[in-house]
Amino acid sequence: MSAEFELTRNITIGQYLPTASVVHRLDPRFKLGAFVILILAIAICDTYVGNLFALAICIWMFQISKIPLHYGISGIKPAIPFIIILAIMQLLFYGEVVNGGTVYLKYGFITITSESVRLVIVSAMRFVEVIFLSSVLTLSTSTTELTHGMERLLGPLEKVKFPVHAFALIITIAVRFVPTFAMEMEKMMKAQASRGADFGTGEWWRIIQRTKDMFPIIIPLFNVALSRAEDLILAMEARCYTPGASRTRYTQYKAVGKDYVALIASIVISAVMLAIPW
Amino acid sequence: MMQPIVNVENLSHIYMQGTPLEHRALDQVSIQVAEGECLAIIGHTGSGKSTLIQHFNGLIRPQSGTVIINGMDVSSPKIDIRTLRRQVGLVFQNPEDQLFEKLVGDDVAYGPFRMGLPLEEVRRRVQWAMDLVGLSFQEMKDRPTFALSGGQKRKVALAGVLSLQPKVLVLDEPTAGLDPRSRLELLDRIRRLNREEKLTVIFVSHNMEEVAKLADRVYVMANGQSVCEGTPRQIFGNQELLRQHHIGTPESVDILYRLHEQGYSIDPSAFLPEETAMEILKLLNR
Repeated sequence: MSAEFELTRNITIGQYLPTASVVHRLDPRFKLGAFVILILAIAICDTYVGNLFALAICIWMFQISKIPLHYGISGIKPAIPFIIILAIMQLLFYGEVVNGGTVYLKYGFITITSESVRLVIVSAMRFVEVIFLSSVLTLSTSTTELTHGMERLLGPLEKVKFPVHAFALIITIAVRFVPTFAMEMEKMMKAQASRGADFGTGEWWRIIQRTKDMFPIIIPLFNVALSRAEDLILAMEARCYTPGASRTRYTQYKAVGKDYVALIASIVISAVMLAIPW
Repeated sequence: MMQPIVNVENLSHIYMQGTPLEHRALDQVSIQVAEGECLAIIGHTGSGKSTLIQHFNGLIRPQSGTVIINGMDVSSPKIDIRTLRRQVGLVFQNPEDQLFEKLVGDDVAYGPFRMGLPLEEVRRRVQWAMDLVGLSFQEMKDRPTFALSGGQKRKVALAGVLSLQPKVLVLDEPTAGLDPRSRLELLDRIRRLNREEKLTVIFVSHNMEEVAKLADRVYVMANGQSVCEGTPRQIFGNQELLRQHHIGTPESVDILYRLHEQGYSIDPSAFLPEETAMEILKLLNR
């Protein structure tokens, strides 16, 4: 009850947990590359044992990055409804689509086979693994490092006139302002509650009423967002920001042994995951 | 002292409890405010003032310790939180951000409408609240909110809280960011609310001139703890304590102290500008 307005606590995007582990100290370009490889492998891997192996690797990642596992688990909680709905859909409608396997049940349009059951279980596991991995990545990498890494990795696209820098800047700004707006929203909710507003206490079927209840927060929040955007533009122009101008970088990354080790490890782990035949 | 309208005992609060980012914002704070009093809470940034005042209307429930407002125990889940919030009007920093209706009158009327009052009563309250903050009801009620000046917007926001007819008015840095004229006017309005409408006023401020002018009693906080309390005369007379906690003094007090340090025989316990002027006059006439 006392946490009813503590919004900032529930926002894990951009939350960084400085434990100074070896994962934290990796070169962000290599770290991002390694995580992308692992996530791709998880997306392809569709065996039980392969996914169990991946799950074990994910939990081990929490260990070596010295991040308590409950951070990952709290990231799964909001995804549970999606996982359940997805599982039900797949169970009901995928029996006909996925070929092979023994048929467990056939009733009207519903067909449940061993293959569709496997798909359901593997999808749920993939969900959990991807959430775990992205939690480790964001908790062990500051947003600045993350966008720097992304910008470098996308660097080659500049040759085909893709605005890599602008893209990285947009993401930096968006991520940077998530906690700011969470705080603004918290303040706004408190201010309006102080003059008699209620949020989310009406019956759920009175959708219009419940939407109207949000106006006292949404409208001022838009105002604040716009005025902050104007401030940001002024601040950037005052420092002579020119879109598309070539610029040098303040942070220089230099890969060392452990970065290569991490990249190779991710490739080996992925290969093992995909090679497991069951 | 009669039964205090605000009674806080041994209140502690920890933000983000159970995470590595946890932060102790309040530590064993006790504070009593009598009905009709005007209390200033001062302290350096991050001393826990804002956390403390959010307990007064139940935006934050006590983690440990008790908060009793006009006989209602804020930690009890049985109390009607809306009744509590009607009794304690809380005005946040930069309250002009919270206006959302198109017209001034509608925005002030938001609170009373939410209380389910009949139209006539809402109208009466809006008029009363706008009068109190010095906005003409006839002239201003149909003005668009976005076209107002910063000072006017702040008055509208204040009226929006007053229209709930609270017993206690809590203000977080009510004059921050206002131009000098709006600042003086708003202070004058707050003083009148306290003296004439008999509202209990609790305000947080960094401006010591304001504190000297308005407060009956001053409460000093540092690092989430209460350091001391007393009349403005007692607090501003204790230069050492103020320096230790990085709290400024009103200019009128500062001048006297500087003269005193330079070896002039002067009584540094004065704290109102008029008193300071008298002291300096005495010195000049000697």
